Amino acid sequence: MRGKFTGMFAVLVAAVALLLSPAQSQASADNFIFGLLMVGPANDHGWSQAHFEAGKEIEKNIPGSKMIYIDKVNPADRPGVTIPFLVDDLVSKGAKLIIGNSDDMTDGIREAAMLHPDIKFIHISGDDALNPDAPENLSNLMGKMEYGQMMAGFAAAMTTQTGKIGYLGPLINDETKRLAVSCFLGARYVWTEVLKKDPATLTFKITWIGFWFNIPGVTSDPTQVAKNFFDSGYDVVISGIDTTEALIVADQKKREGADVTAIPYDYEGACETAPDACLGVPYFNWYPGYSHFINSIKNNNWKKEWLWLGPDWKDMSNTRKSSISFKNGKALSGDVQAKLAVFAKGLGDESISLFTGPLNFQDKSVFLKEGETATEMQIWNMPQLLEGMEGASE
Amino acid sequence: MDVEFQHISKNFGSVKALTDVSLTARSGTIHGLIGENGAGKSTLMKILTGYQSKSSGSILLDGVEVQLNNPGQASEFGIGMLYQEPMDFPPLTVLENFSLGTPHQSRQELHFALKTLSIRFGFDLNPDRPVELLTVGERQQIELLRLIHCSIKVLVLDEPTTGISPAQKEALFPALKQLAADGMTILLVSHKLEEVANLCSEVTVLRHGKLTHHTTAPFHFPKLLTAMFGFVPKRSDRSDTRDTGPPILIFKDIEASGERQGLHRCNLTIAEGEVIGLAGLDGAGQSTFLRLAAGLISPDQGKVILFSDPLPYGAKASIRAQELHTAFIPADRLEESLFARISLRDHFSLREEHGMFWQSRTETRKRAEEAIATFSIKGTPEDLAEDLSGGNQQRLLLSLLNRNSRLILLENPTRGLDIQSGQWIWQHLRDELSPDTTIIFSSPELDEILHYCDRIIVFHDGLIVLDSAVPETSHDAIAAVMTGIRESAP
Amino acid sequence: MKKLILDILLGSLLVFSFTYIVLLIAGAPVLDAFKHIWLGAFASSIKISQVLSVWVPLTLCSCGLLFTFRANLWNIGIEGQVTMGAIGAMAVLRTPVIDNPTLILCLAFLTSMLCGGAWGLFAGLLKTRGGVHEIFGGLGLNFVSQGFILWLIFGPWKRPGIASMSGTELLNRKLWLASLPGWRVATAGIVIAIAILILTWLFLEKSRLGLKLKAIGQNPKAALLYAISPERYYLQSILIAGSCAGIAGFIQTTGVYHRLIPSISSGYGYLALLLVMLSGYKIVLIPILAFFFASLNVGAIQLPIVLQLDSALSGVIQGCCVLCALFILGIRQRRAQP
Repeated sequence: MRGKFTGMFAVLVAAVALLLSPAQSQASADNFIFGLLMVGPANDHGWSQAHFEAGKEIEKNIPGSKMIYIDKVNPADRPGVTIPFLVDDLVSKGAKLIIGNSDDMTDGIREAAMLHPDIKFIHISGDDALNPDAPENLSNLMGKMEYGQMMAGFAAAMTTQTGKIGYLGPLINDETKRLAVSCFLGARYVWTEVLKKDPATLTFKITWIGFWFNIPGVTSDPTQVAKNFFDSGYDVVISGIDTTEALIVADQKKREGADVTAIPYDYEGACETAPDACLGVPYFNWYPGYSHFINSIKNNNWKKEWLWLGPDWKDMSNTRKSSISFKNGKALSGDVQAKLAVFAKGLGDESISLFTGPLNFQDKSVFLKEGETATEMQIWNMPQLLEGMEGASE
Repeated sequence: MDVEFQHISKNFGSVKALTDVSLTARSGTIHGLIGENGAGKSTLMKILTGYQSKSSGSILLDGVEVQLNNPGQASEFGIGMLYQEPMDFPPLTVLENFSLGTPHQSRQELHFALKTLSIRFGFDLNPDRPVELLTVGERQQIELLRLIHCSIKVLVLDEPTTGISPAQKEALFPALKQLAADGMTILLVSHKLEEVANLCSEVTVLRHGKLTHHTTAPFHFPKLLTAMFGFVPKRSDRSDTRDTGPPILIFKDIEASGERQGLHRCNLTIAEGEVIGLAGLDGAGQSTFLRLAAGLISPDQGKVILFSDPLPYGAKASIRAQELHTAFIPADRLEESLFARISLRDHFSLREEHGMFWQSRTETRKRAEEAIATFSIKGTPEDLAEDLSGGNQQRLLLSLLNRNSRLILLENPTRGLDIQSGQWIWQHLRDELSPDTTIIFSSPELDEILHYCDRIIVFHDGLIVLDSAVPETSHDAIAAVMTGIRESAP
Repeated sequence: MKKLILDILLGSLLVFSFTYIVLLIAGAPVLDAFKHIWLGAFASSIKISQVLSVWVPLTLCSCGLLFTFRANLWNIGIEGQVTMGAIGAMAVLRTPVIDNPTLILCLAFLTSMLCGGAWGLFAGLLKTRGGVHEIFGGLGLNFVSQGFILWLIFGPWKRPGIASMSGTELLNRKLWLASLPGWRVATAGIVIAIAILILTWLFLEKSRLGLKLKAIGQNPKAALLYAISPERYYLQSILIAGSCAGIAGFIQTTGVYHRLIPSISSGYGYLALLLVMLSGYKIVLIPILAFFFASLNVGAIQLPIVLQLDSALSGVIQGCCVLCALFILGIRQRRAQP
């Protein structure tokens, strides 16, 4: 019995070994290979797809560049697989630059950067590069989605009939808090400045699901959360998560006759899932950031950077220059579209500055005094939600 | 339809279950088939219903030889069987169960058929009740009606009165008689002589797979009993009676479940040094009795007092009984008392009471070798238990017995052994062990019991029906109470 | 001997044709897929060490399962036992009282054993006291432990100011199990796994405990007649299994993830169940099969990277191997019967 088994196994292994000759392709010298680690699926109509398409765009536009990638890099989808291990693998395939697209990868990317000092790393959404002790080969890149979310909040508040806006939040951290806050500020601007209503009549509620996308059994189910919003009188749900559940649920409800809409997040094409229920989408365009870093490597002038790129106010939809944009959806009325354009222009020329006091935190402590405008770092490290928002701050 | 068995034999490997059995069951009669457990009755009926193949011989239906290779074929010929445990589907309703296997009919038609048949046989069945809520007797009634509805011509009944109430029995018997009167052939397998006498017009007795007696009504019970259990042994064979000491095992108002009937109203005292035989038909309560004494099962009510120590309830009882030097050897050796794929030597290692953490191979090997020599076991210390023959397994079990055992409980100790092995085992039990060791054993062989014990306890349907010193009773009296005949019976 | 060779040939043929068909259906270049899995697991020492880091918890869980399987217990709760071991280790590692990293790691190791063992014992008690079959008890406890670890990560042990399912804060580097330079596997993990393998062999083959477990597994009724209480040894075996699983949790925490994540057990417990059954409960085969499964697990990540295939395919391939092996085993058993 024992002998038979061992024998069988040995033959199996030998057969595999014989069949497969150990020849591995090596990258040629003028190629530039970069590796992309995506936290979600490459076709999620959200965060990861935005990165994936930027990578494809780079391949098209920067000669010799080649992307190798792996998606669903998270312990739920790929148990036992760690970031340093994947980086080892991508590096062995010739990658010179590694992009990790999730806040969740902070520790792994940091560790990998230490293990591979010759390789350059971009961690999306982190701030290691601000720390002087952090490795020189690790930079950070993020888009100023705050503007996108302000516009989303604006569109939502202009559309809502019930005065109740739901925000489908991912997990709680500084980034998600500042985005939710931006969204709220956009909505509140509509209430106080455009509609001239009492801000107390605006309900803005956040429900956090616990991660960037649904992990069955681990996170709250975003579909269920969105349903709950619509069923309890919220007629616009803004999604802060990487996937499009809110929009899909809104579309279903709309077919059932409810007058509801949703705003997805992250990816230019996100509305396509259910255009009729989509007010629009604030989205990232990672091309400018990626190309900046890749060019700096090719030109040998890489330096540790912390990049927080905003929209190109002249033309937000310019894929070469604008990192952030808002794309109007079918459900957004023409009148509101016009007002949104005016609002965006105001943001661009800084005639509208929403992070200006007086603003209080949720616990009533002062965030900004009358007339005070927040610094970038104050916004980046948003410690709490604001007064007037419902939902957990930690 | 007449059913004729001609020279039927059936071998399971080297075991002969049936040897040259011929009998004819005539249309319009109820034919009784009696014999003790393992006599071959069930095998014969399984051959008729197509569940088993015969080794040789033939079966004729109305004088025409037929092949009954599977149950489907048998039912095509109109042979149906009513099992001890009704073969029905408990979640389905009475009507649904009734409709199974019947030609396709509408619900109304089925409903009507069920109603008509119920009235005809005096059964009270609610068509919409789920079968799981019914008693065994009622389920049997449905099954019977279903078979009749399928217009069977031959009906086989396997111990039909086990587990049904007297009232249901009252309803069943006239129904059977009526069916026979209508021309059906009925074969009744039973070990209850009274019932057989009541119902049958003809009786065939099987013993050890052979036909030993065939007779028509009226029946002479002593003849039937002799045919079932063999002849009365001579007194002179008996061993000497032992002296007895203080009571060591007391059963106090025991009510217990187990086997078919459990054990009821059991009060008993057993003294040191007694050798006691437990007689009774299979499942009448002897095994429950032995397991209660061994602590393997706990009584529902009452107390088992072992060496003046009431046994605890639950899992600890068995361990406690062993601490009190009580040993139990069950009938099913590989099933219940040996480890099939563990070597002889390791059995000794397992038996060690205060062993070290590590196994001591050399020492257990020595012990195994000694035992093999002393008990003439044909095997080596490294042989697996399953590789030993039945007799050698029994010797191994005896060699594993603690020498300090004061009470030894044996369930059918010579089961499956040839005469020589059986004798060897009894010689060991009576002669090698200290004379104040108490031995309680059960056996289906009355001869064995009468031969070796001083006191006999007879069980019937979970009750002790006879408790007597051997010299004060007789083979016939024991056989009679075993089969449920009360003194008033013919 | 001829039959053996035939079996092996038949088995390999089956595995290959089966996987061939599966890959073909998935539209993958079959030979390339095999090649990349192979290279992904063995092309460099880094990769082999990655395989070993999967091998360690798999081996540990399998060793534990050998004890329960021997007593004929289905310790499906092993996943939860790994999780609880990881939680136990983390609880100690978070305690700031002790300064000495070695001491605190040793304490974490012991606690993880204790927690995993206790969790196993819990399933055992549910069986012996509550009459709950160990499969259902184990599954239930797996859910409970999953809920517990989520609660910890989302609640009391969350990163300051952050509430994410992604895990607790990274451990201090001093508390990481060390690896040899250029290797990606904790040396201590390998040492522990080998030690546990040897201990398991000793306990199962040389101790009376192993013999008693075997007896109970074969025939619990008879065991009672040898004054061996099945309940007691059920509890002992599942306690040992839980402890081994707990150690796996410790290594996952301190040697692989360096923090607590919701899926810290990575499904290794379930995989180990499969593996042990496949081994025919033979300890000599455990390290070999664990290595095979580990390399398949690690190598399969190449399918999405290189061939853009879903890496779930590796699960399919694994399933094929298991099915084929079971098939051959079944044939052999039938042949052995007269």
